[in-house]
Amino acid sequence: MGSNEQIHRDKLIIDTDPGIDDSMTILMAFRAPTVEIIGLTTIFGNTTTKNATQNALLLCERAGHPEVPVAEGSAEPLKGGEPRVADFVHGSDGLGNLFLPAPTSKKVDENAAEFMVNKVSQFPGEVSILALGPLTNVALAIKRDPSFASKVKKIVVLGGAFFAAGNVSPAAEANIYGDPEAADIVFTSGADVDVVGINITTQVCFTDEDLLELRNSKGKHAQFLCDMCQFYRDWHAESDGFHGIFLHDPVSFTALVHPEYFTFKKGVVRVETQGICTGHTLMDQGLKKWNSENPWSGYKPISVAWTVDVPNVLAFVKELLMAP
Amino acid sequence: MTTTKKKLVIDTDPGIDDAMAIFVALRSPEVELLGLTTIFGNVYTTLATRNALHLLEAVGRTDIPVAEGSHVTIKQVVILFDFAVHGTKKATKLRIASFVHGSDGLGNQNFPPPTGKPLDQSAAAFLVKQANLYPGQVTVVALGPLTNLALAIELDPSFPKKIGQIVILGGAYSVNGNVNPAAEANIFGDPDAADIVFTSGADILAVGINITHQVVLSDADREKLEQSDSKYARYLSKILGLYYDYHKDAYFIKGVYLHDPATLIAAVDPSLMTYTEGVVRVQTDGITKGLTVFDTTKKRYGEITAWTGKPTVKVAVTVDAPAVVEMIMQRLTTDD
Repeated sequence: MGSNEQIHRDKLIIDTDPGIDDSMTILMAFRAPTVEIIGLTTIFGNTTTKNATQNALLLCERAGHPEVPVAEGSAEPLKGGEPRVADFVHGSDGLGNLFLPAPTSKKVDENAAEFMVNKVSQFPGEVSILALGPLTNVALAIKRDPSFASKVKKIVVLGGAFFAAGNVSPAAEANIYGDPEAADIVFTSGADVDVVGINITTQVCFTDEDLLELRNSKGKHAQFLCDMCQFYRDWHAESDGFHGIFLHDPVSFTALVHPEYFTFKKGVVRVETQGICTGHTLMDQGLKKWNSENPWSGYKPISVAWTVDVPNVLAFVKELLMAP
Repeated sequence: MTTTKKKLVIDTDPGIDDAMAIFVALRSPEVELLGLTTIFGNVYTTLATRNALHLLEAVGRTDIPVAEGSHVTIKQVVILFDFAVHGTKKATKLRIASFVHGSDGLGNQNFPPPTGKPLDQSAAAFLVKQANLYPGQVTVVALGPLTNLALAIELDPSFPKKIGQIVILGGAYSVNGNVNPAAEANIFGDPDAADIVFTSGADILAVGINITHQVVLSDADREKLEQSDSKYARYLSKILGLYYDYHKDAYFIKGVYLHDPATLIAAVDPSLMTYTEGVVRVQTDGITKGLTVFDTTKKRYGEITAWTGKPTVKVAVTVDAPAVVEMIMQRLTTDD
């Protein structure tokens, strides 16, 4: 391979609500040699959409890529109303209450859904989306352009809890709960979707020792990330009795670039939008021939992450975060 | 020697595997069967009553009373009440699994009608009466939708405290359902009633299809039943064919799931399963209607959830399936 040869880099839009583990992921993704981040789009979830946009701009600047466009997404879920914001997990600024100075760069004029539709139309079959928050923007893109689902290369979703307890309630995971209607649209859209639930992501964590290793590393953003993680880590100790942090978003990014570290099962996934189980993701594993039509009938199956090679994923995350 | 036998009421919708469970109960020296109460599910309630009487007559146990249960779900009970009072009515269709058990519920054998009659008392009233007669001593084995139990709780709010234990065949815990990907048939049959029962505070032990799908009667077991001279085995051999056909077609397996007998065994010998304690809630609307969600309360949620503060129940998580099948076979292939 000649030194001038261009490495093929997959075009990626990260739809994100930074968020502490989002920040880790964005900084990781900028260091990953096989992806080209063509934009960030923002959404509520860990913080408000407005805050998420500020944080996304800040992260691009920190990563040394102020040129990467940031498009602001929907401020509320599809059905309207106040979004659920997990500031008790990520701090009131979404970045572990570090209260960093405002970014100097500005968001683009297009909104997130327009940005996704435009990029995917410009490069059909080439753009992947990594969705790290509620799926409102992706659903709006699908509604805006009927060909979006077939033109997007792949949508990797961090969301859901498959045959496992949720983290908002026993039934629901936070990203799906944030906009269940949108999630149901995305999962049944016919797009090539890989979904990584918290049944997978909670298997991959940084213990206090790992965090210390990161702090002592020569990683370009190591100090910043470790400072930010303190708040997140304390919440995990309180909520789960676990001294460390789950790597939800970094694991989902790894599923995009190293799918070989995971196994997937195919099945139709629907999302409950009513009642006490609102936000529940339910996959038909296809083990039974149903006697009649049901709400799962007739949709294209998606890929649900089923197992994860924890050591390999951890090594990959550490490699990118600790790279000087 | 007479040790205290466990007093049992079986709430049932016979049903091929219900028939097996009832026979296993009759053949279990550990239990005393106080009565059968009937419910819709595998068949309509009137046919369930007829079949319950018929099964007892077929094995000469007409000493055991049968009380007929609700013909409709608990929501429909309310709707029918509204109709009587206000003249408004909204009909909803009951789900009846005749494609699994045959149109007669017993493998389409066209047995003669029973000669006996059910009690004058409703199933709910019978359950309340037994609980009051023997406070803390009666175990209800609920093999169908939970309407009668919910009605018993409405009839007597102290029922959950007075009943000894309710062993429920119902739910799909962290697995797909059997009516659709979300719901198991008994819970789907009356999700509102199920949620009432699960959160009632009674001592509840739930056995879901995640457990009963491990308890399979193989072709070899069926042959053993066919070769046995016991009246129970002879009867069951006649009705099992349709159930085997359904399983082959729907699940691609050779053999049948022993949902009801396995649950009965959980009441007779709880040591053959292990259990986890937590709160179970039932989704009562939407596409996942009938979904059972089990909170093992290991995690502390940031916000109040629908599970917060509700009474806990025990949910079976593992089963010694060979031992359960062996116990069932042993009881059915020997005579009184």
